[in-house]
Amino acid sequence: MMSEMEQKLRSEAKALLEQGRVDYIIGYEAGSLKFTTTPLITNDKDDVDLLVISPFITNNLSVFLRETNGKAGIVAKGCDSRSIVSLIQDQQVSRENLVIIGVPCSGVIDIAKIETMVGKDRDEIDDIAWEGDKAVVTIGGARKEFSTREVLMDDCLSCEMPTPQEYDILLDEAGHLVCDKELSRSRIKELEDMSPEQRWTYWKNEFSRCIRCYACRQVCPACFCERCFVEESEPQWLSPLPRWQDNLMFQVGRMIHVAGRCTDCGECQRACPVNIPLRSLSKKMEEIVDELFHYKAGTDKDALPLMAHYELDEAEDFIR
Amino acid sequence: MKKVKKQDIGKLLSQWQKEFTVFVSSKESGVAEMTPWDGKDTGFLDWYRNTVIPPKANFLPNMEKIFGFRKEEGGYNLEPPAAEERKQLIFGIRPCDAKALTIIDMVFQDTYEDTYYLNRRKNTLLVGMGCANPYDSCFCTSLGFGPAEATDVDLMLTDIGGELIIEEVTDKGKDLMGKAEGLEDANKDDEARAGETKEAAYQKVTRKIDTKAIQANLPNSFENEKFWEKIAAKCVSCGICTFLCPTCYCFDINDEKDARYRNWDCCSFPLYTQMPMENPREEKWRRVRQKVHHKYTFYPMLFDVIACTGCGRCIRMCPVNWDITRTLTSVPAEATAGTEK
Repeated sequence: MMSEMEQKLRSEAKALLEQGRVDYIIGYEAGSLKFTTTPLITNDKDDVDLLVISPFITNNLSVFLRETNGKAGIVAKGCDSRSIVSLIQDQQVSRENLVIIGVPCSGVIDIAKIETMVGKDRDEIDDIAWEGDKAVVTIGGARKEFSTREVLMDDCLSCEMPTPQEYDILLDEAGHLVCDKELSRSRIKELEDMSPEQRWTYWKNEFSRCIRCYACRQVCPACFCERCFVEESEPQWLSPLPRWQDNLMFQVGRMIHVAGRCTDCGECQRACPVNIPLRSLSKKMEEIVDELFHYKAGTDKDALPLMAHYELDEAEDFIR
Repeated sequence: MKKVKKQDIGKLLSQWQKEFTVFVSSKESGVAEMTPWDGKDTGFLDWYRNTVIPPKANFLPNMEKIFGFRKEEGGYNLEPPAAEERKQLIFGIRPCDAKALTIIDMVFQDTYEDTYYLNRRKNTLLVGMGCANPYDSCFCTSLGFGPAEATDVDLMLTDIGGELIIEEVTDKGKDLMGKAEGLEDANKDDEARAGETKEAAYQKVTRKIDTKAIQANLPNSFENEKFWEKIAAKCVSCGICTFLCPTCYCFDINDEKDARYRNWDCCSFPLYTQMPMENPREEKWRRVRQKVHHKYTFYPMLFDVIACTGCGRCIRMCPVNWDITRTLTSVPAEATAGTEK
């Protein structure tokens, strides 16, 4: 059933294209698999009826902004709008070329969590639906209820800005998002409680299965380098061979490069085909950025990017 | 045909383990892949639908030393890799992944014989296991076979409930059965149930493509830039669909200070075709077009077979749900006047 938000989205998108205010609409349409959506990037006004809003709009669509020529109308959740702001700060996209269609987000459902809890794969589940603040999962006629905090993505559970702050059109009033910061960072807490040796072993194991598909980098809006350091050959910073040491260094390098740009959208971890818990690195980094520099990525489009300026009273001597 | 009780699978694997390194599906590393059996656990029979990492990785590893080299007076001394390892047996390979090996054999034994890959192939027995529960992303039945078909393996197993029916497919498989102990003969009822199971599995594959129409239309789409631009728009150019594809075989070569290695490469990466002066596939749509055409146009031109077995990994694992079956079914039916810049 089409929600009011969806209805509004479709009519706004249609108007934007018809009035020539945008050349493209970047949104979501139903995916080809159950409980998925897929990006819809179109300049055809007949396509707007395909647009959807659901608890499965996972992708951070801002990653496509640098590729579309002309003006784009983009559907953005809170985290995505922060990525857009961050891209504006870095002068990767210009605000004038954007119409931000804000979605007040009540969190994205983590299908992997549901799969684990019910012991079934996505395609074996018949239905997942919100009933009040419960997620009801139906399998073969049997219903199972889960609380919101059990089914939302970890990054959603610590989201401070579910409703976009930067937008042109807001599809609804600010929504309600259940947060549980402790649960959101439970894996990070486990890592913090480890000895350095234990942590080293942990990450060695995790990065041993990295296949260097670079999906983490490709879905990341903050990874906008024309040429990634991992692909430099003169000098060659890292081996292209997928040894765990180089895999680890690639990710550490990537994380540091996106410090102050990462908005904890969770896409890197979600995209990883071999289940490396990348958010444990990115979220921790976001916390450090906040603690040391009192900086939250993508919250002020007029602010200088964190890593592109310094203050006279910087803590470190070398930068003064 | 023989049969084995499910609870006796461990005994059978133990027998084989004496002669082979037995690979079974495992999630021990954090992702489902074929890894050496630990001699105990047969729990994979309960959860195993297919691995995320395709068994091609057992023949074309993601990283492999081709040879070592040492600089000596007058030139380099090359050191070929260590002698052949123990014989392998891959237990439970799915028909799609077994067929994929037959397909990529063609390229590895074409004008140049790739001894690294071919030696492993010669050295390995494939014990297939039919799917009882294909994924919704699977479309093998559109590629000319079924999810439980005894094809491209040495032995084929069909799960009929508490027991597995074993078909001898090749002579190698027959030899293996001749040596196996503690197996019962399957009776007529068992064989009939195996047939029903295969048919039921076949019916469960509901994703369909029309390969005849696709192969007729796809070549005409080549210069339809608008079509490919739209198809490619949401692709993020990562390596998931190709790295996890059982028929993608591209690799890169990298030298280190004392050895030459090869590792998987991928036509989605812009650097894949980067040359000193130009890159013929700088734009994303050209790369996506290449990927689709390679599987459904170019490979059939070269080897008379589509380089896709409908395993569905590229659909299941894609971070943006770029679906090759959607692309293939949306290819315009007639030649369009689009021209390439």
